Amino acid sequence: MNLDPLALLLQTALLLLLAPLVSGVIKNWKAKLQNRRGPRIWQVYSDVLKFLRKDMVISEHASWVFSFAPYAVFITSLLVGLMVPMLTTQAPLSLFGGALAVIGLLALGRFALALAGLDPGSAFGGMGSSREMTLSAIAEPAMMLSIFTVAITAGSTDLSQIVQATQGPTWKLLNPTHALAFAALFIVLLAETGRIPVDNPATHLELTMIHEAMLLEYSGRYLAFMEWGASIKQLVLMTLLVNVFFPIGIASEATPAALGLSLLLYGLKLLALSAAVVLVETTNAKLRLFRVPDLLSAAFVLATLALLSTFLFQ
Amino acid sequence: MNLLSTIEISSQLVTLMAALMLVVQLLMVVQRMLFTNIRLFAIQSLLLAGIATVVAYAHHAGHVYIVAVLTFIGKVLFLPWLLNRLVRRIQIHQEIEPLLNAPASMLVCGGLTLLGYVVARPFTSLERLGNNTLAVAITLLLTGFFLMINRRKAITQVLALLTIENGVMLAAVALTSYGMPLVVELGIFFDVMVAVMVLGILVYRIRESFASMDTSKLNQLKG
Repeated sequence: MNLDPLALLLQTALLLLLAPLVSGVIKNWKAKLQNRRGPRIWQVYSDVLKFLRKDMVISEHASWVFSFAPYAVFITSLLVGLMVPMLTTQAPLSLFGGALAVIGLLALGRFALALAGLDPGSAFGGMGSSREMTLSAIAEPAMMLSIFTVAITAGSTDLSQIVQATQGPTWKLLNPTHALAFAALFIVLLAETGRIPVDNPATHLELTMIHEAMLLEYSGRYLAFMEWGASIKQLVLMTLLVNVFFPIGIASEATPAALGLSLLLYGLKLLALSAAVVLVETTNAKLRLFRVPDLLSAAFVLATLALLSTFLFQ
Repeated sequence: MNLLSTIEISSQLVTLMAALMLVVQLLMVVQRMLFTNIRLFAIQSLLLAGIATVVAYAHHAGHVYIVAVLTFIGKVLFLPWLLNRLVRRIQIHQEIEPLLNAPASMLVCGGLTLLGYVVARPFTSLERLGNNTLAVAITLLLTGFFLMINRRKAITQVLALLTIENGVMLAAVALTSYGMPLVVELGIFFDVMVAVMVLGILVYRIRESFASMDTSKLNQLKG
């Protein structure tokens, strides 16, 4: 098992370029479904480029944590992305860790984000941080349990091996434990990416916002990194959902034809998942903050049941 | 993908649908809106009808088709319609008020599911179609009882009773490999039908007499 520099480079490029596109597609479709015209699909790229060019205004009370956090968020989500198999079954950085490292790195990024919200001492930032940590305390175990469910079926916590095992001849479409784990992970995806039943990143109302509240003090280049990092994290979680549970067409060897087919199917799967997210977002109302733990605990219990069922339904 | 035999595929299908019934049941535990609850019950019954169809197809048992059709007509179409009408008529648009809050009741139901699995464990090694569905059936039963205890309003207790009945039906259809004799199935089916209609009238009367559907107020009855 060696590090392939070309694969590393390709997957990094794919992560960096595809992530804003997915966010843009979700925004655009959501607007279409609500009878609005909506931003162009490419709008997120323009936003990020514009933020990168702008000057930064930094609070004089902010310490080094404030300027360190955007890089931490960006780099952790990128590293997680390199550990998840996207086009081939072999993820470039899979030799550095499996599911445990993925969850740990995501938690590290969230920790940096929460600290950054607290650091400038604004009231909104601290509120956002406390909300984020409260919710992630329930969302994280649910995510861990649902990934472990799949890991037990595959007999390894290495994501590449999980995908290989689920793809092999013993692959079963109708596995009920996977249905339970998928449902749990989908709810976690909604919570982690700030989707509507949990959070609404499109508004700046203090009653509703979680993710935006932590970013309020950021501007310019740092904001660009934060937004880009958030969209990469979203892409990574979606990749986890589509590739671990529906590993159809992932290339097992790196020939151009196999990679092309894999890219096509991956894109289609991502679009389908985005459509599901958009549908959930438009048909549901934003939950009151105190009701969000109800939803997340449902995800947690579903994941627990999935884990228990692996021993029963086999 | 290698071709699986019909029995294997139908066994997988039955297990999957049983698991989905369990998911729907758990959603009913956390869901607060009455209309959504009724819709979830309809979905659960639809899954039950699907299981009956698969069992009938796999065993070439003609009378199980009748059970599936009856379940579809009765529990997916008729009972939800009846309950919806009842809800409209007594004009309760407020949410269900459970005694325990949603996360706590979810945890209790998780525990009950575990109990169901443990109880069904000795019977799961049988070489039958969908041999794990006994655990799901027992779990539906237990969570149904919990739902009944946990909710104050009469109409939600009727819904809980219906989910218990779904659990019994699941055990009957999926475990006895040809389903129960048709007469027994029909008996249970019409029993439930009539019970719900009577309960519907009862709920309406409770509402009329007490201006509320809270069954705990029935304590105030004096002879």
